[in-house]
Amino acid sequence: MKPVSVLNGNLLRHWRRWAPVVVLLALCILISLFNGNFLTFGNFIRLLNSAAIPIVLCMGATFIILMGSIDLSIEGVVALTAVIVSLLVLNDISPYAISLWAVPIAVAVGGLMGLLNGILHVKLKTPSFMTTLGVGFAGVGIATTILGGATIRISDQTFRFLSLGRVFYIPMAVWIAAAAVAVAYVIQERTRLGRWLYAIGTDEMTARHAGIPIERTRILIFGVAGLFYGMGGVLAAAQFGQGHALISQGRLFTTITAVVVGGTALSGGVGSVINSVVGVFIVVVLANGLVLMGVEPYVQQGVQGLLIIAAVALALDRSRLDVVK
Amino acid sequence: MASNKTDIVNSRLNRRTVLKGAAALGVFGSSFPMPAIAQETTWTLANSMRSVANPYHASFAKGGEDFAKSIGAKYETLATEGNSEKGVSDIRALLQRTGGKLILNVDPNDSPDARVIVEEVKKAGGFVVTQWNKPDDLHPWDFDPNYVAHMSFDGVPTAEAIANELFKAFGGEGGIVALGGILSNVPAIERKLGLDNAIAKTNGKVTLLDFQPADWNEQKAFDITQAWLTRFGDQVKGVFAANDGMGMGALEALRQNGLAGKVPVVGIDGIDAAVTAIEAGEFAGTVAWDPIWTGGMGLAIPYAHATGKIDITKEPREHREFYGTGIIVSKDTVADYKNNPPKVDYNDLWGKATGQIQYRS
Repeated sequence: MKPVSVLNGNLLRHWRRWAPVVVLLALCILISLFNGNFLTFGNFIRLLNSAAIPIVLCMGATFIILMGSIDLSIEGVVALTAVIVSLLVLNDISPYAISLWAVPIAVAVGGLMGLLNGILHVKLKTPSFMTTLGVGFAGVGIATTILGGATIRISDQTFRFLSLGRVFYIPMAVWIAAAAVAVAYVIQERTRLGRWLYAIGTDEMTARHAGIPIERTRILIFGVAGLFYGMGGVLAAAQFGQGHALISQGRLFTTITAVVVGGTALSGGVGSVINSVVGVFIVVVLANGLVLMGVEPYVQQGVQGLLIIAAVALALDRSRLDVVK
Repeated sequence: MASNKTDIVNSRLNRRTVLKGAAALGVFGSSFPMPAIAQETTWTLANSMRSVANPYHASFAKGGEDFAKSIGAKYETLATEGNSEKGVSDIRALLQRTGGKLILNVDPNDSPDARVIVEEVKKAGGFVVTQWNKPDDLHPWDFDPNYVAHMSFDGVPTAEAIANELFKAFGGEGGIVALGGILSNVPAIERKLGLDNAIAKTNGKVTLLDFQPADWNEQKAFDITQAWLTRFGDQVKGVFAANDGMGMGALEALRQNGLAGKVPVVGIDGIDAAVTAIEAGEFAGTVAWDPIWTGGMGLAIPYAHATGKIDITKEPREHREFYGTGIIVSKDTVADYKNNPPKVDYNDLWGKATGQIQYRS
């Protein structure tokens, strides 16, 4: 009897690894049965376009969640960096117009906000939940104060190319998102930082005994996540051609949902940035599909909620979780 | 602007009890003899609103200031910062300081606040006009003469008018898609009703391909519009958005697909970005509210009563609870709108009023 159960366990674990991909494929098949337009090239590009910014944000959020922490500052960082980048490119409010040079500045501001998250969280020993919530509020607050409720209009076409431009028929934002995935994957797989964050997320005490510099790793990872959010802010500004304090509304929920639906455990240590890419596509395809299938708006949110719970239930490997909180 | 407000209005009924408690404390406090500080001999004017951080309320405050300047009166701006308790206690303090010689034009933070404010002002002998938010069963004529009037904007005819601008922009025949606000919001419901009316009056020439609530959110509007382009393709002749923010999201989705300027979009609120998009031929129109007018007229009407120019208790009900006029900004009128911002004539008290407020629920 014993060998059979071991085999079953392995099979189950193997299947769970692929569960998010299976869910995604099943969704695609289901939607295309209802509406043939789903499988057209045009819609494929639109899906990529909708997925680009969430993917960039998820790269940062996945790292944090792998570490067993949570980051609620996403909307604040995105709002602030979007406003900063909008003020630095050609616009109707400020005179700077430094075009693409604004991008590294905004990304760096994102990184600094992330470092601030990390330092406050580690040095003050405050839970990441509260620390990042506070930093996030501060971000939206600063963005509001800078603008006093106004909206900046971006007229810099070079900057807007970051979203509107097409290279080999694929929107520029998608190429940038792909690059973000590549960078995140290399950090996760090929750097000590990447290995360490799994160790911390799995069991912090063991990691500490193994001599991993826990505090430094945590701070750095929050900093790296901030860089990704900064890039997300840049892309949001480029996509809408404007910057305002409310540009990031709703981003936090989508990002965390996508990470979890992709199979990364909120308890830390389990998952990967590639999972999160699949997670983003599940969320984006679902939203697109519900409109394509003509599901009543009143019903949509319910369906969305149920399917997300189903996806998480299928994808999450609970065999190693003793307690589910 | 109104859109964001009402979802808060709907969600906090228990605040009323808290505020009633606060009001009771106020009664207790004022039963003490008034301090014998020098009382104001002339009226003090004040506008109270959420914050000057958003363009709508900044203009609302400016309207009040303009009117006060025109009559040489003292003027103050009170900001609630989204906090009902702060809003009420600031007003109470100002009533105290002016010895009741206060004319107040208030956009209450939350509907139940209006009742507390009106009661306080009546007790002190001042005059008050409320904007947008008040309980349905609170009427100016029940607090004669101190509760002078309530002003609001009607989403139904506004949405109908802007929908007609959209139909005109694509030749009046074909399918449209529509983005709505949060399903339970009063402005969202009114604007949807207005759109439905406009479509019904085309006798089938214009059809509503799909309606989706995008919750006043630009990003959601972007994603939904993208999905529509897949589902309906070139059947989409126009996009109706219940506010300009969602309209901008839809416009950017169209731009990604090379359709900006080819498929017209309309919105409501009159934000700068929408006005610019009208000039660029990408938006077919928007509705600009007139916060300078509401900001000034909400003081001018009670001032006219206080100085004996009119007797508000003898005015008909459509002068006590009335809608203001939204200004339709379209391709034809945008240049005029930008060059000649709407003027306010403080002697024409109800010139821009468009009928008595209706309670639809």
